[in-house]
Amino acid sequence: MNCEWVKENAALYIYEELGDDQRHELEQHLERCAACKQEIAAARDFKMTMSALPMDEPSPNLLAASRMKLQEALETATQSHGWSRFAFDLAGWLQQVRLSPALTVALLIFGFAAGTMTTYSYLHRQGKGGVLGGTTRPAPTEAASIADIRGIVQDPGSNSVQIKYDRLVPDQTQGSLDDPAIQQLLLFAARNNTNPGNRISAVNLLSQNPQDSKVREALIYALRYDKNVDVRLTSLEALKPFVREDVRVRDAMLEALLGDANPGVRVQALGVIKSVRQDASVRAVLMQLAEKDANAFIKNESKRMLAQTPEMD
Amino acid sequence: MPAEAMVLTAVGARGPKSLPAGRGRMVSQALNRADDSQLIREAQRGDRAAFEELVRQYDRAVLRLALHLTGSDSDAQDIYQEAFLKAYRNLASFRFECSFYTWIYRIVTNLCLDHIRKRQVRKEDSAVNTDSEGQEYSVIDQVSDARAHANPEHDLMRRELGSKIQNALGKLTPRERMVFELKHYQGLKLRTIGEMLNTTEETAKNTLFRATQKLRASLAPMR
Repeated sequence: MNCEWVKENAALYIYEELGDDQRHELEQHLERCAACKQEIAAARDFKMTMSALPMDEPSPNLLAASRMKLQEALETATQSHGWSRFAFDLAGWLQQVRLSPALTVALLIFGFAAGTMTTYSYLHRQGKGGVLGGTTRPAPTEAASIADIRGIVQDPGSNSVQIKYDRLVPDQTQGSLDDPAIQQLLLFAARNNTNPGNRISAVNLLSQNPQDSKVREALIYALRYDKNVDVRLTSLEALKPFVREDVRVRDAMLEALLGDANPGVRVQALGVIKSVRQDASVRAVLMQLAEKDANAFIKNESKRMLAQTPEMD
Repeated sequence: MPAEAMVLTAVGARGPKSLPAGRGRMVSQALNRADDSQLIREAQRGDRAAFEELVRQYDRAVLRLALHLTGSDSDAQDIYQEAFLKAYRNLASFRFECSFYTWIYRIVTNLCLDHIRKRQVRKEDSAVNTDSEGQEYSVIDQVSDARAHANPEHDLMRRELGSKIQNALGKLTPRERMVFELKHYQGLKLRTIGEMLNTTEETAKNTLFRATQKLRASLAPMR
């Protein structure tokens, strides 16, 4: 071992990357070489200087926001499987196209031209009394199903008439709660119905079967986004038993606790997360609430829960 | 100590409180690894809850790395999002040849490398960054000191030092920057760093040597 070797390996020495034998030899060398001793001291100095740039922990807010954003993205993400590598990646292709304006314009022009040619050719054949017989067969309609006529246009010089109309067919169905068709309608009602009373009924009925993943997703959706406080409370109550096992439920509860406009929902959510208060993200949220929440009850209760939570290693 | 356990111990992937490597911790990490395998298999079968559980185990460390490398909340969040989405989409190709931790870190380091390269090309490696709300702030402000209020002069010096360190780091090549970051700030072993960057331990050693030489040269006038 010589001084050149020490110089080249000083960094590995201070970062504890030398093997035992090499480290021992280097230390022996340092005993009798003042220049190398100085080199190692300078390297240590450098290491200490670099540590002046702190390694901050991400804030609880940033972590929570990142998790929520990821969760939303995962809703639509799909896993690729082996065979899909050989399939045509439409999204990737579109992304490339988006980045190539000239190609995009060319494709648009081509598409427009092809569309025009096809229409021309179709109409031309129609005019000659081709296969379709010169008229478009009207769609079968029932008077009861027509909600409104939006427009009537007659093709000049022919007996062909184009009518635009809206259909409205009220319907009803009956069946057991286990019936997939009934479940589907209830899921639709829980998310889409404009009548909050119907949403509450739907959420109430769905909450009898929260084991079902689609039902649970609908309940989480209702807790996160429904404008009606009763719907949110009903969903929260139905999701309560799953806060331990389902991380999505836990996140939805934390989101409600942090951001729900209704204090009642927040208080309920606080009660629910009590059972998982040792979870790191739950503790981070509790710390934030205990520090500066505007609601005195939530602030004090968060403090109390934190005080009862043992520190984890 | 097994390499994977050392990695997890060093980075504290289970949470913010990292480190002292006790036997109990090693046992619990070995158990975590077993849990990981189970979770990965479930996630590969399409169980999203299992994947989210995996995310929870590693996302704090991922966000910490991205935040330190980019100095920007929004960039760090973008890298976080892209890394885990990529992991989710490609989970079927995970063959248990390395730990999930190494695999996800490989994805993150690649994204960070791309980010650093783009930033160097744009010559935007200035001391100004943006936070998640789009507000500009100086990365020098990140260099804080608990005793700042007691000693403004000391605080000013630390800020200046922080600024010089940032400039010196900015002069490294993306790969040197990444190796130095993973070694100095993340405390990983060079063998693991080599695995993450798809290179050998020897190359990682050489890169660390070059990085420290350059940094020492950049910072020499002030020391």
